Amino acid sequence: MSLKNKLQRFKEQGHLSQESTKKIVPSPQILHEDKWKQLQAKPYTVDGEHIVLRELCFPLHTRHGHYRFEQLFEVMEAWAEAGMTHPLSTADRMPRDLLFFDTETTGLHGGTGNTIFLLGYSRFMDDHVVVRQHFLPAPEVELVLYQSFLDYIHDAKDLVTYNGKAFDWPQVKTRHTLLRDSIAALPVFGHVDLLHGARRLWKHELPSCRLSIVEKEKLGIHRESDVPGAMAPMLYFEYMQQKDPQIMEGILEHNEKDVLSLITLYIHMSKLVLSREQQMSSIDERFEIARWHEALGADAHALDHYRVIVRSGDRRKVHAMAAMGHIYKKQKCWEKAVAAWEYAMKESAHVPEEIYVETAKIYEHQYKDYEKALHYTQRAMEVWRKKSTLLRYPAKSEWNAYQKRIDRLQKRLNK
Amino acid sequence: MIYTANIHSYNREKRVIIMMRKQTMSEILSQLQQEARFSANIVRWETIPAREARTVSFPDTLDSRIRETLEKRGITSLYTHQATAYEAVRSGKHIVAVTPTASGKSMCYHLPILQTLTEDPQARALYLFPTKALAQDQKSELLELIGEMGLPIKSETYDGDTPANIRQMVRKAGNIVITNPDMLHSAILPHHTKWVSFFEHLKFIVIDELHTYRGVFGSHVANVIRRLKRICKFYGSKPQFICTSATIANPRELAEHLTEEPMQLVDNNGAPTGVKHFIFYNPPVVNPQLNIRRSATLEARDITERFLLNGIQTILFARSRVRVEILLTYLQELIKRKLGPKTIQGYRGGYLPSQRRAIEKGLRDGEIIGVVSTNALELGVDIGQLQVCVITGYPGSVASTWQQAGRAGRRQGESAVILVGSSSPLDQYVIQHPEYFLERSPETARINPDNLIILVDHLKCAAYELPFSEGETFGNAEIVEILEFLTEEQILHFSKNKWFWMNDSFPAHNISLRSASQENVVIVDITERGEEKVIGEMDRFSSLTLLHEEAIYLHQGRQYQVEKLDYEEKKAFVREVQVDYYTDANLAVSLKVLEQDERRMSQETEFGYGEVSVHAMATIFKKIKFETHENIGSGPIHLPEEELHTNAAWISFPEALMASLGKEQLERGLAGLSHVLRHVAPLKVMCDPQDLHVVPQRKAIHTGQPSIFFYDRYPGGIGLSEQVYKEMEMILSQAEHLIASCSCHSGCPSCVGAAEDDGGEKEMALTLLRVAQGGNMHVS
Repeated sequence: MSLKNKLQRFKEQGHLSQESTKKIVPSPQILHEDKWKQLQAKPYTVDGEHIVLRELCFPLHTRHGHYRFEQLFEVMEAWAEAGMTHPLSTADRMPRDLLFFDTETTGLHGGTGNTIFLLGYSRFMDDHVVVRQHFLPAPEVELVLYQSFLDYIHDAKDLVTYNGKAFDWPQVKTRHTLLRDSIAALPVFGHVDLLHGARRLWKHELPSCRLSIVEKEKLGIHRESDVPGAMAPMLYFEYMQQKDPQIMEGILEHNEKDVLSLITLYIHMSKLVLSREQQMSSIDERFEIARWHEALGADAHALDHYRVIVRSGDRRKVHAMAAMGHIYKKQKCWEKAVAAWEYAMKESAHVPEEIYVETAKIYEHQYKDYEKALHYTQRAMEVWRKKSTLLRYPAKSEWNAYQKRIDRLQKRLNK
Repeated sequence: MIYTANIHSYNREKRVIIMMRKQTMSEILSQLQQEARFSANIVRWETIPAREARTVSFPDTLDSRIRETLEKRGITSLYTHQATAYEAVRSGKHIVAVTPTASGKSMCYHLPILQTLTEDPQARALYLFPTKALAQDQKSELLELIGEMGLPIKSETYDGDTPANIRQMVRKAGNIVITNPDMLHSAILPHHTKWVSFFEHLKFIVIDELHTYRGVFGSHVANVIRRLKRICKFYGSKPQFICTSATIANPRELAEHLTEEPMQLVDNNGAPTGVKHFIFYNPPVVNPQLNIRRSATLEARDITERFLLNGIQTILFARSRVRVEILLTYLQELIKRKLGPKTIQGYRGGYLPSQRRAIEKGLRDGEIIGVVSTNALELGVDIGQLQVCVITGYPGSVASTWQQAGRAGRRQGESAVILVGSSSPLDQYVIQHPEYFLERSPETARINPDNLIILVDHLKCAAYELPFSEGETFGNAEIVEILEFLTEEQILHFSKNKWFWMNDSFPAHNISLRSASQENVVIVDITERGEEKVIGEMDRFSSLTLLHEEAIYLHQGRQYQVEKLDYEEKKAFVREVQVDYYTDANLAVSLKVLEQDERRMSQETEFGYGEVSVHAMATIFKKIKFETHENIGSGPIHLPEEELHTNAAWISFPEALMASLGKEQLERGLAGLSHVLRHVAPLKVMCDPQDLHVVPQRKAIHTGQPSIFFYDRYPGGIGLSEQVYKEMEMILSQAEHLIASCSCHSGCPSCVGAAEDDGGEKEMALTLLRVAQGGNMHVS
């Protein structure tokens, strides 16, 4: 029995591990310069080997979703003026330093064998925005792909991506490592990954933080007849067999929209974080922005945003007050902390028990007011009890902690 | 130590033992020697004398910090094998060191590697252990050593349990990375670009427990090593291999086959050993007509209990998972009142890793005094000093018997090993001919890295890791045709003299090194509603006979009944029950020859070898009562047929036999002979009897002749039946010897199987053997 027959038999019996493949009849033709031209793309040649480069220009006043591209200038100025440390900040950068970057690959898992076949980015030039896409027409010219990429981007400073920290850039590094003996090193870029911020702002609000959903719900961008990114591997394999540029058209456009949307998204998120205007963001967004500042240790900015929420009179003001209390406590402003928390207690019957505990602690340790401390501890325990009846197994240790605190306070009162 | 003076009557055999105080091991041993009931069943009591150490002084080149640390530990010289290994590795050779358990084998690699690291702090070493547990164990030992030496060496395990932040440190700066082949296969090699400096500076690859890399697992690992060497070459390193192995017949050949490098064998063991008593125990005959002996399981239980009750740490080995659980149930019941149930634990393959680790720790701490284990513990997990090892039934090979026996007294001092024979033909042969075991060289370990299915799997992984160039080799394998096949399948893409990976999957995730079938069946406990939990897993083929509906599945001494086996979804749902029986299932097998590769004649009988297709289907199961082992019920099993395409060797008897013997007699003879061969053949080729199946056919499909087939139980075959074909004459003569020397009248479980009202099985089997060896078919 021939080896191939054997393999065929094993395959039928399901003994070989399975990869899904779609049978495509191969075509021998290699380059279709005319067809590429229709897609606004042309060959880029190094030492007789070529890749395909697609380039598109957009005037600065072009509107993409809710914003015009040139609005990037305002937000970058705003960052420079704000003088705060924030992961979104591009304070000391020029617009052309930023590379709004996205890739398309042959697989969805990270790993050495996952090939990047499209490196795409948008970038600000003097009087326009350019979208440039480096496309790999055959696997053996990968070196040219990265050489051309390095030629164009070596003077950029920051990447702006969507999940690029976990996926795109490590994958670029992986593939670059395979070529490392024949090519210059990759530049060391700063990196703004907008997915992290998007998750902070909209995790609870949106069904998922996929870029297409954020575009539709937050940026006013509606894609028509878009090829989903998940189709990219299949389409590329089909292209590998047939070499017809038409097959790649949908993916090129998809990537083009992605890298343009990154500009819009960056403008939008920057405005949310920087603006104090009431109408700019929803209360929920503002609350998340405040928490973001708080997590970064920017207390003053956090307090600013919490105050806006309190002033709005929205139901979330209770949460904002509670959060402000924590910041004041951290700053050892006991009076302000207690005031904020007592305000929250007055406004709402559903304050988490830890607020009562924290208030009790300040009364006990700072003001030596054991009566008030006992009062708040007892209320904390009530809230905890109510909550615990909903649980099947209330934690014994928590109950003990309350009881211990109450005993101690009563002892002090009885002295 | 004074035991409370309560007189406990202990009554199974109407004996009364008055336990005034705990006995020492020598006291128990001399009691066993004197006690008539026990001593009558001792076939042989072999005392293996203590052995003096053979040492050499430290090599001059050894770094003073290493020397001083060893001296502080009271080590002032090296055992001969350690010194030889050190010098050989220093001179750039690949080595395989073969010495018994507890001979300081790991120093064979620690020493030269630590020495190199004192000279070159950039150097890296990869330690491969077959299991995570072993890796953990070695890590603690190594860290202690490095700590005492005060060397700036970073050593860390890299497995599924390693936290993400540590992983990055290990990749970038770990001098010694300790892992297992599975992790290398699915996590390190496919991400080699994250390990650049590791691969650039990789100087040593340690393969510990080399002997475990045999059969299917070994064949997979050989291919993982081909991939590893390919990646090393890409980064410009050429590491040295240091292997260590338990005693097998062909350590050097196995190491060379696995690594495809020339090896120097280091076997001049210089470690001392204490006195070891090796006792061959044959349970008494309870039914002289049928030559049926008392159950080995029950005998082993009674012997083990004696040691346990005196607080002597004892390990009890059983051949199957089911046996382990049965013995565990018995012993926990007996010991519960005196020592507490947790002091005796089971240990076998199906347990979850966390459970296994807790058991290993309990043994080391002494909180557990008894362990009932399958051969999972054959591996060198350091569980501290066990004094006694009781083996229920011959483990099937000389090598694994010594491995199990090595569990007792591994750190010197007096120890005892008691081998309790079962009624199986092989056991009876070994137990009645102890010299066969004691004088015989251990078995040969085989792998077949070029098994087509395994090779294809790893070629995919290799192509994912780096494109293949035309003319590139993959170890000694022929690969061009396979690469072309994968290109036709559009998994690879050929362009400019290279094959590129062109698929969206991650191939290593679809390929498991451990099991023939790609997916295991998960066992889910549904006893408590809302509290369903996974308690274990099992390979698909075993699940046919162990997890069918109504099967009793035993886990940590608890009984579960299988309520539903979802074969499609690979899930078995079980519910805890308390019953007084266990279940045993039958597997019906049909087989046809696809292609014959080899043939030779022995007079009118033909021996053949080739490719076959096997169809297996579970048919019925029986319920068997504990203690009495009687059959108390049965039922059908409804599960799909499994198909297997593999290699087989066979014996084709002349068609004329049918006429001269009669259909019924012939069938009985074939069945009887198969029963013997099933036990004898695995002996010759060193494999678990589970890996090589023997099937008789009155009328083989391809010839119409009476035949007996031996087939590899893995798709594509792993070289077992090929070996059977080569050694057929030897196997047949051993089978004849076994049957002829059995004392039964016309067949018993110890030779041709239980005879049905003198069906003549024994005589028929002998007739067939004579014919197969070119003799006369007429019954004398």
